[in-house]
Amino acid sequence: MATVLIEDLTKVYPPTINNPKQVQALGGLSMSITGNVFVAVVGPSGSGKTTLLNIVAGVELPTSGSVRALQEGVPARVGYVFQEPRLLPWRTVVDNMLYVQDRKSDRSRREAEFYLQMVGLGDVADLYPSQLSGGMQQRVGIARAFLVNPDVLLLDEPFSHLDALTGRSLRDYLQRIWLQSRKTALFVTHDVTEAVELADRIVMLRPGGVTYDDISIDLPRPRRHGDPAVRDIQDEVLRRFDAMGAAVRFGAEGV
Amino acid sequence: MSTVSTVTPGSVSELSARELRRAAWSRWGYRLSVVAGWVVFVGVWYLVARLVLTPQQLPQPHVVAVEAWDVLRLREFGGNFQASILRVAAGFLLALLLSVGLGLLIAYSRWWRRLLGRVLQFVVSIPTVSFAVLSLIVLGISPMGPILNTMIVATPYITTNLAQGLTGVDRRLIVMSESFGRTRAQIIVGVLIPSSLLSILGGARLAFAVAWRVALLTEIFASADGIGLQIRRSFESYDIQGMLAWALLFIVIMLLIENLVLRQVERRLSRWRTPATGVAP
Ligand SMILES: Nc1ncnc2c1ncn2[C@@H]1O[C@H](COP(=O)(O)OP(=O)(O)OP(=O)(O)O)[C@@H](O)[C@H]1O
Ligand SMILES: [Mg+2]
Repeated sequence: MATVLIEDLTKVYPPTINNPKQVQALGGLSMSITGNVFVAVVGPSGSGKTTLLNIVAGVELPTSGSVRALQEGVPARVGYVFQEPRLLPWRTVVDNMLYVQDRKSDRSRREAEFYLQMVGLGDVADLYPSQLSGGMQQRVGIARAFLVNPDVLLLDEPFSHLDALTGRSLRDYLQRIWLQSRKTALFVTHDVTEAVELADRIVMLRPGGVTYDDISIDLPRPRRHGDPAVRDIQDEVLRRFDAMGAAVRFGAEGV
Repeated sequence: MSTVSTVTPGSVSELSARELRRAAWSRWGYRLSVVAGWVVFVGVWYLVARLVLTPQQLPQPHVVAVEAWDVLRLREFGGNFQASILRVAAGFLLALLLSVGLGLLIAYSRWWRRLLGRVLQFVVSIPTVSFAVLSLIVLGISPMGPILNTMIVATPYITTNLAQGLTGVDRRLIVMSESFGRTRAQIIVGVLIPSSLLSILGGARLAFAVAWRVALLTEIFASADGIGLQIRRSFESYDIQGMLAWALLFIVIMLLIENLVLRQVERRLSRWRTPATGVAP
């Protein structure tokens, strides 16, 4: 069972050429995630969501505080789905999958093909990314993250670059695969509807990367779009965001 | 009559088919212009040789062609060619090694970028003949002259393109690699090299074009063997025909390498860029 423990996490970016002021992306964020739950992190642009995932993935260091992603006490293996597909354009689809694997054998190729089939891309394994549509590329990115058999799955607005219809169908793919594997998942999104449809829990961030609110969702899956119970929770989340907007506007710190 | 409309998965592949056709046309246009250029060149040569100059001053093209055939068969073309091409290769290899170092400095250090940028610009602006003369003065008749000069003129092109390739690497692909636990070596081989390879090759082709011209010039001025020496000898014994034959052979071979071999390699390696026709729905 995986756990992600985030304690008093702060990230301050030093000034850059383009921005002479330092930027606080996260300010004292704490939360803990235990077990095979799907957690959505929702917050406005610039609230440090990507920064949070990067620190959990170990590709960025915190300024202070700590993040531990553990699986049975040892560092957890992470599978990351990015906002864009992030495929190597000079490699075929299947070679992109093999790139993230440690062993290269017949078996690893079969595994790669298995996950490609799972996202409905069994017959494009030997094409280059430039020969696929954006939605197909993003599905390769999802398959790649599952291929490494991750203990913790990180997803950074994986559908936000796609049109609404494609995004919806990929959401179904994701939900199906996740229900089969039940990895601990940290899913970043702007989209409250998406969050409520997918998540067991929604963490709401506000600008500057502080938790504002935390809601558990206990509805059976698969959840239907337009289901009254789902809609009630959506309304509730939006209401709390509105309240936060007011709090931020009026400078009510520490609400 | 059925009212069910069938959706054909065509739009994407039609688009790329059109793109492919256009690319094919422009390739043929390019080839045609190369052929036309040669035809004009030979035509002008004929005109000048017949109407303006005497055969001693400028023999006609077909005479030179026959002479070149003789050179190829009877006058140790192979040995001389080998001497010349090996020197070009050696200089080119040295340039490549030097460029990796300089290119890394330029790509990753602002201070070095400013300094080296100016130096390289200066080197590019020096006329190639001066390198040939300079090496005669400094090194005398020596095989090192062509090698060094090749290296000096090739380096700026390869370095600039290498640095450009490295700075153009998509940072996000590196973050992706790190998040999936790839090692530094795996990232260099898997991301840095492939993503700058085409740029490096482009630079290498340019560099090669300048390099062999300089090597030839230097050989003409200051070498004890090779094609350049043969050209000088023919010139000194008023054998314009032989001189042109040697030069023509070398130039044609180098142009073939430059345009067929190097371009083909580039095309092979950039296959992933062209959208192919058979796009799956
Ligand atoms: N490498 C960096 N250097 C400097 N500042 C950065 C860097 N990365 C992010 N920031 C800044 O940190 C803040 C948080 O950025 P982050 O990308 O985590 O936000 P986000 O919540 O993911 O936003 P979005 O929803 O737009 O993706 C922003 O103000 C951003 O400008
Ligand atoms: Mg982001």
